[in-house]
Amino acid sequence: MTKDRAASLLFLLTGIYGFFFSIQLPMGRWNEPGPGVFPIILSILLLVSGVSWFILGRRKAGGENREKKAGWRDIVNNLSTPLKIVGITALFILVFNRVGYLAASSLYLFILLFWVSRYRIIVSFVLAVSIGIGSWYFFERILAVQLPKGLLFL
Amino acid sequence: MDVFSNLAHGFQTALSLQNIYLCFIGCLWGTMVGVLPGIGPLAGITLLIPATFGLDATGAIIMLAGIYYGAMYGGSTTSILMNVPGESASVVTCIDGYQMTLKGRGGAALFISAWGSFIGGTLSIAGLMVLAPTLADFAMKFGPPEMFAVLLVAFVLLGSLGSGSFFRTMPMVFMGLLIGAIGMDPLTGSLRFTHNVPDLYDGIGLLPVAMGAMGVGEILIATEESLLRIIHKVKLSELLPTRAELRASWGPIFRGSGIGFAIGLLPGSAHVLSSFVSYMTEKRLAKKPDEFGHGRIEGVAGPETANNAASGSAMIPFLSLGIPTGPAPAVMMIALLIHGIAPGPLFISKHPDVFWGLIASMYLGNVMLIILNLPLVGIFISLLRIPFRILFPVILLICLVGTYSVNSSTFELAVLLLFGILGYFIRKMKYDMAPLILAMIIGPTMELSLRQALMRSDGSFSIFWESPITMTLIAVSLLLLVWNVYRGIRPTKASWEKALEESK
Repeated sequence: MTKDRAASLLFLLTGIYGFFFSIQLPMGRWNEPGPGVFPIILSILLLVSGVSWFILGRRKAGGENREKKAGWRDIVNNLSTPLKIVGITALFILVFNRVGYLAASSLYLFILLFWVSRYRIIVSFVLAVSIGIGSWYFFERILAVQLPKGLLFL
Repeated sequence: MDVFSNLAHGFQTALSLQNIYLCFIGCLWGTMVGVLPGIGPLAGITLLIPATFGLDATGAIIMLAGIYYGAMYGGSTTSILMNVPGESASVVTCIDGYQMTLKGRGGAALFISAWGSFIGGTLSIAGLMVLAPTLADFAMKFGPPEMFAVLLVAFVLLGSLGSGSFFRTMPMVFMGLLIGAIGMDPLTGSLRFTHNVPDLYDGIGLLPVAMGAMGVGEILIATEESLLRIIHKVKLSELLPTRAELRASWGPIFRGSGIGFAIGLLPGSAHVLSSFVSYMTEKRLAKKPDEFGHGRIEGVAGPETANNAASGSAMIPFLSLGIPTGPAPAVMMIALLIHGIAPGPLFISKHPDVFWGLIASMYLGNVMLIILNLPLVGIFISLLRIPFRILFPVILLICLVGTYSVNSSTFELAVLLLFGILGYFIRKMKYDMAPLILAMIIGPTMELSLRQALMRSDGSFSIFWESPITMTLIAVSLLLLVWNVYRGIRPTKASWEKALEESK
């Protein structure tokens, strides 16, 4: 699949979603346009863009743009590091309020440094804890940001 | 009061000890984020938003603006010395700047870059000082039809000025407008696309979207690449350019100021576009254009001046019309809104102390930046010795805390991550996220103006060509639209050549 075709699928899906939920909104009349008018116009424009790029993307796939196709394969190959980061960040968001900033941030940094950056376990631990404590002090004490206290009540 | 007495009043505000300190912090932080690849002005501004909560609005905007124009100065340093653009506007500077470094003239390139940035920045502030109040006075006469027409021009321009073609940019604009429609309808109170999630009733926050798309997305892209960094050292004695280099730089610096100022007024990636246009102009005007790309000082002076001039003029539509032209001014606008100040036509007359204090601080900031960027360049370069594998987790953590600090909402953290993923894929597909973000901000005002105008005219579209202002603006937007569509579908030189070859 070419990059343009992948993008066209995104536009089509967003357009379909927008269209489906827009038609459930009141449309009103021209002298009093309802809340559904603007979103439905945008959804139709997105659908048109999606269909156009789907057709144009196919033409490119067979012809002059073979390198773009290879580029898309590269994306899949390179996906492992971003996937790890996304997964770890999602975990951080889930536990952030429950365990508190200090514990969550230290854990987050430790996993990233050890698993993604491939530092040794001791180095990762020392770096994670010191950056965690330093950032907590900077945000909580200097910038007075309200961060969740969690388990450590800090 | 005239401009000069207002400016004098602004200097009184800006020269308070606290505001000088805040201006310095902004410039310092801006230079640092400009130097470090992966953190641009947008992330730099967002990270310091929590620090502004305890400040008054003047202090807050002085510091945040300092980061914005400071990043433009800092971005050139890594481009010249390492061939790594610190931020997107400095990509063009890499071409000749790094070649100059390889020839042992890196110091002169840094000097001319800082000097050009200073002149471009200062001239642009003078333009901002004169033009913003005039534009705001003019915009006071705007009703919903005029506002809709202005925004229509902005959207068509946005489509044509994105990094991709018009047809690639417009779907991103439509997506941004649709995302901007999420939440409670301002006229009827109906809920749109909220799916009974209370966090969506007020719409999706701009900060998590901007930070996710531009900050987290960039990090995800950057972790795929391994950056081989070779840092060239520059001695203080090597900073001075030769007489010939100085003479060759004056023209590009003044042309770059004009180009940057004009392009900065337009929505889109103005600072990136301005540096590119300036480079192409210098190349076209040069007696020996073939030497460009091999270390010409004009290839550094013009683009670096232009991107700084653009950062000053980009503040004009944002401050006087309430229309941000890029993601970074948009985040500054959010910061002002947090402080209870709405940028727009009434901003300058209602808050002259904030506006003129900001203008005066920008003059001060430019002086601070030239001092920071020349003798202290070595200190900033040493920041690059921090390995990226330590830097990226810290940047991610700061993005998360910066987003959380505004509303203490974990929902916004989820939005940040979601838009980070979206930003990653969009970048991979060679599309640009900036038009989506801008459309998201301006979209609600555009919709409201359109609906209010139609209500006022009892449903008649003739309201859009009743006044000369709307008529002109609608005509301009239609002409731009036709031109862009033509540009998108006309056969290119390559396709003509291919067709010719096939016919033989």
